[in-house]
Amino acid sequence: MASSGAVPFWRAAGMTYITYSNICANLVRNCLKEPHKTEALSREKVHFALAKWSDGKPEKATIRSDTPDI
Amino acid sequence: MAMAAALRREGKRLAPLMSSQPPINTTLRSSLISPLDQSSIGGARSISTQIVRNRMKSVKNIQKITKAMKMVAASKLRAVQTRAENSRGLWQPFTALLGDATSVDVKKNVVITVSSDKGLCGGINSTSVKISRALSKLNSGPDKETKYVILGEKAKAQLIRDSKKDIALSLTEIQKNPLNYTQVSVLADDILKNVEYDALRIVFNRFQSVVQFLPTVSTILSPEIVEREAEAGGSLGELDSYEIEGGDTKSEILQNLTEFQFSCVMFNAVLENACSEQGARMSAMDSSSRNAGDMLDRLTLTYNRTRQASITTELIEIISGASALTG
Repeated sequence: MASSGAVPFWRAAGMTYITYSNICANLVRNCLKEPHKTEALSREKVHFALAKWSDGKPEKATIRSDTPDI
Repeated sequence: MAMAAALRREGKRLAPLMSSQPPINTTLRSSLISPLDQSSIGGARSISTQIVRNRMKSVKNIQKITKAMKMVAASKLRAVQTRAENSRGLWQPFTALLGDATSVDVKKNVVITVSSDKGLCGGINSTSVKISRALSKLNSGPDKETKYVILGEKAKAQLIRDSKKDIALSLTEIQKNPLNYTQVSVLADDILKNVEYDALRIVFNRFQSVVQFLPTVSTILSPEIVEREAEAGGSLGELDSYEIEGGDTKSEILQNLTEFQFSCVMFNAVLENACSEQGARMSAMDSSSRNAGDMLDRLTLTYNRTRQASITTELIEIISGASALTG
């Protein structure tokens, strides 16, 4: 239905396909019933520390989010 | 029998006395540096049994610790191994569709080195770093640049030494939660957003078996390069023969596909590397326990020799003293 040349709404908003599919997966996981829901949500935990470099080590941003969205 | 036991006790009591009278030639050599040296040449001074006993105790503790680490690594390996093998199915369709073009010549290379945060895992991190360096050398030339994205502390420590300027991003503390796709995809997303690339080369250790890890490079091309290669023919040239449903253009689909491919390949790479890490740690700890056992055997022999020598010396002194009295 999209005319050729138009980008999907999420790409226009700056998301990559990966982010889009993660949000969709999160929505699906939230649709589960209780015992499976907590198991599935525990499979979504994110934790890492990202440091950008420019000739040395500047800012150390710890991205620790319990949701997969950025 | 009681006499022998009494003599043995005397021997033990007197042995530290004997060796604690420091003769001049042995104070120059610390007994801790060469503990297994028995100078029987000039003064018949031997190492104190106390020192050997202490060493034996510490070696035995080390052996226990490394055995425990091996068990822990084995159980962690079992847990990750099935997941890693199952995740191989994620990227195989991509390779069937887009090919794995390792030999594509591009201007901007980004080498993603996957390594572990913890040590004591044998040589896998060094092999990954070696291959990353080789890749960057292969791709050097006018106009071409290679940047590193480093996952894990160990590769960061090694690459800081000589390639500090080429590092773009470093990511650590990845294994705090059990590895899941969501985390890896957020990682992949961050990499995509922060680094400009024509080709991404992921260097990791593929898990073949508990004792064999194969260093592997997986290549992901950016959508523009995929289009360029498709026009040039070859394995990617057949992309045009696929029908596209849904009204997206080919370049959009290619972009979605390459992003998703990157995420899947990263997931597999991280899992396989985790498996290899546990396997390597198992074999490293196993050989360490074995070495500790060998060392313990040698120390036990030394200890017994020393103990028997001191008892013999004691006996000789007592008997010659007694015979001097009576005779």
